[in-house]
Amino acid sequence: MSLSRFTILLFLSVAWISNAGATEPSTADVAQQVDQALAADLFDENTKLAPRTNDATFARRVWLDIVGDIPTPEELTSFLLDPAPNKRESLVAKLLADPHYGQNWSRYWRDVILFRALDERAQLVANPLEADLGKWLNENRSWNEIATEFITSHGDVREVGGTAIMMAQDGQTEEIAAEVSRIFLGVQIQCAQCHDHPYDRWKREQFHELAAFFPRVTVRPVRDLTKRSFEVVGQDRFRRAPRGNNVERQPTAEHMMPDLEDPQAPGTQMEAKFFLTSSTVPWGTTDDQRRMQLAAWLTENEWFATAVVNRLWAELLGEGFYPSVDDIGPDREPTAPTAVKLLGEQFQASGYDMKWLIATICQTEAYQRESRPRRELEETPFTANVPQRLRSDQLYNALLSALDSAEQAPNGQQYLRGRRGSPRGKFGEVFGYDPSIAREEAASSIPQVLALMNSGDVNRAVVQNRLNTLGELLATTPDDDELTTELFLRCLCREPTKKEIGTIRKYVKGASNRREAFEDLAWSLVNSAEFQHRN
Amino acid sequence: MNQIHHITNVATRQGRVIRRRDFLRQLTAAGLAAGTMSWTDAIAASSEQMRSRGMACILLWMSGGPSQFETFSPKPSHANGGETKAIPTNIPGIQIAENMPHCAKVMDSLAVIRSMTSKEGNHLRATYLLHHGYLPMGGVNFPTLGSNVAHQIGDAANQLPSYVRIGGRLPSSGGGGFLGVDYDPLVLQSATRPPENTTPLTDTKRYERRLRLLNSLQGNFASTGGEQIVADQRKLVEQASDMIMSPRMEAFDVEREPAKLREAYGQSDFAAGCLMARRLVEQGVTFVEVVSNGWDTHFDGFNRGRELTTQVDQPTAMLITDLKQRGMLDKTLVVWMGEFGRTPRVNPRAGRDHYPRAFNAVVAGGGVRGGQVIGATNDAGTEVIERPVAVTDLFRSIYHSLGIDADQENMSRIGRPIKLVDGGEVVRELFT
Repeated sequence: MSLSRFTILLFLSVAWISNAGATEPSTADVAQQVDQALAADLFDENTKLAPRTNDATFARRVWLDIVGDIPTPEELTSFLLDPAPNKRESLVAKLLADPHYGQNWSRYWRDVILFRALDERAQLVANPLEADLGKWLNENRSWNEIATEFITSHGDVREVGGTAIMMAQDGQTEEIAAEVSRIFLGVQIQCAQCHDHPYDRWKREQFHELAAFFPRVTVRPVRDLTKRSFEVVGQDRFRRAPRGNNVERQPTAEHMMPDLEDPQAPGTQMEAKFFLTSSTVPWGTTDDQRRMQLAAWLTENEWFATAVVNRLWAELLGEGFYPSVDDIGPDREPTAPTAVKLLGEQFQASGYDMKWLIATICQTEAYQRESRPRRELEETPFTANVPQRLRSDQLYNALLSALDSAEQAPNGQQYLRGRRGSPRGKFGEVFGYDPSIAREEAASSIPQVLALMNSGDVNRAVVQNRLNTLGELLATTPDDDELTTELFLRCLCREPTKKEIGTIRKYVKGASNRREAFEDLAWSLVNSAEFQHRN
Repeated sequence: MNQIHHITNVATRQGRVIRRRDFLRQLTAAGLAAGTMSWTDAIAASSEQMRSRGMACILLWMSGGPSQFETFSPKPSHANGGETKAIPTNIPGIQIAENMPHCAKVMDSLAVIRSMTSKEGNHLRATYLLHHGYLPMGGVNFPTLGSNVAHQIGDAANQLPSYVRIGGRLPSSGGGGFLGVDYDPLVLQSATRPPENTTPLTDTKRYERRLRLLNSLQGNFASTGGEQIVADQRKLVEQASDMIMSPRMEAFDVEREPAKLREAYGQSDFAAGCLMARRLVEQGVTFVEVVSNGWDTHFDGFNRGRELTTQVDQPTAMLITDLKQRGMLDKTLVVWMGEFGRTPRVNPRAGRDHYPRAFNAVVAGGGVRGGQVIGATNDAGTEVIERPVAVTDLFRSIYHSLGIDADQENMSRIGRPIKLVDGGEVVRELFT
């Protein structure tokens, strides 16, 4: 429940229990097969592959990717000094067992869902979503079980994180259908909402047949004097036809496809039919059964596995197999068809094991290559990893970790107001972005630059005082080069280059005093593009 | 004074042809290169010219879909008109809703388009459409209108951003898209709260030293895959620093206006936004968007309509008046619109639902002939019966007013050329 990182640390001692079966395909074998498939799909003798990244870059990358934070100098050093040949694999396993893994990825999915919310009050579900999904991920519940929760949940949105999609879409039948398809299948069938799509096979009827799984869902205020909340309800008893405005927001027994020529007309009643398999449920099926049935059909479909495989691959390598993480499907061409098919099938064979999937991707050579600038369209994909801008929570964690600041836990009132009440939430308002958009389009902005440069909250740690880390380092590290190295390790997880040491020496000489010089260095490091990206 | 005030002294006449002639006459002989300049070059130079002309656009965005019946198209003699009455304006024969008495007094500057029509009744898609001139399309990250305008005629030398959006994040309203970070809007939560974090934490000298240190520490990342990222970030740091060090930052402070003028704009947040918009345009900002929220009036539409119009009527009219008095109206196009209109039939909860088939947009300034109504709907307000105006037509007209060739193509990141507007025609009546 709590957002406090300190509290989360207390859970470190609690081991997660993997439900991974013994028959799972080996991550090492599959990683190797994926690399071979990439080579077959894409590379030839002229392809220049970036070399394997060094240990320090790998450590920072995998720390940010799995637990959403940067390593401490101690953690980093012990990894660098570890002589074991399989230490990268062990590190990945260790990080996947850390509860911050679930927290990091639940925040990722929270953004996937809530950045498309129809209105601001959906933020009420943010904290429960983060808590519940984080727990499921740490328990390593399979992805099909998790998807089923999101498709079938009901209840108070302040208590049940699984209601997030319904809440974000305000219980609106068509919007829910569109989001469920987008998030779990990667198929943007809602383009067919108003007309048959010119480039896709989906017909307008098929979209409305998918919507027909959700007409009975509604979001309504909780009648309770002590709190303001909403609940997701599946209604199965209808006394009369709904009337009045907002008809689309009222639950109905069956979904009606509007008549485009006459929006006032009642429209055509649609059968609940899953567009990928054409399976149907009978008229009058209850809300529970409808949604359970859809979840069952959807989660056994190949696009369900492909969508999440493509999404995680894109998040970890900077580019997906398909140009977009939420616009895939039979009418889109993947860049590496054999590789994505293989990884999708093996993920399915693993029992939709998310930790297995991440471990496998992190073990590929493709993941472990050095980063290069995002490729041009005509260049070969996956010859290198790609530097990625940190998501808001990763950046916030990195700021806290770099100079050992404690996160202010939101007080009870702030927590109840949802995510936006906390300092982390406010940071997210400036730095957050929709993780489903192409990453190169998640541009930085002037308010972000200003917040990092000039906000007192962000900069409290880079001003020396007797109680903070910078103050302690200044007092206990008389040697300037050593202090420079320490600050580089803390902020950028690497040692400074010779050139950088030279720059800092000169800077210290020119500054009015040592304290100021190192405050300026700490400020510059957290404001650097390197700090704000994972390489 | 800086270059933005060196506006070329071309008499502002209406019509593109005359302007082109004016600008050709003004080009130096060297620039003309003895008649070797092609028409495309001339078009390209035309936007140069507009830059120096200081053309600007203020978009007043009514988020949620304003009711045409309660604003610029009352239908008092039909049941669909509800309880809203019509009032005369300062142009004989043109009536608008009683909720807009201030706008009625500047009708001579306004062109009301009563025949806007589209098919998008979903807030997000319609907001996208009315901001981009395109519907969202997978794989193409279209720049939004303000970003395109900033890209075409923004003054890159100005210390303030070329595109400012006042009123917080607006889903689907877009940004620089494939044009890049340079053309993203600077988003302000509210005009009553100036941009945050604009005061350096140290004195100026030390701040400048810090910036130099920061710059010298970016090289390593730039050489290990982060070249473009570092270049972008340097640009932003530079822009942000220029901005906060600039005396023009005062443009964000509406408190500097005389109390009397502030009063004349009115009390709402939107009023402060309009005033800030004028101040920003005065300081060379090319595109300012001011957002008014809450127009999605499914319930209690007449009362809420009155509240909303009270917030926007006076500031909108005063903005026009103020721009005119300062001689800025000819160079500043003001556009008032939302993502769609509302249903002619009043629903049982005294509200109106979404209606894209017939709605309003109002334009003023920027060479637009005021005092006219374009298009009409039938008595019931359900159908456009005269001069339908599509979203692409409106967008073409906006670009036309700003001296931008809407057929220009930008290259999207996937290597596909994208016109500023695909299809549509300029609404000629606006400019004649």
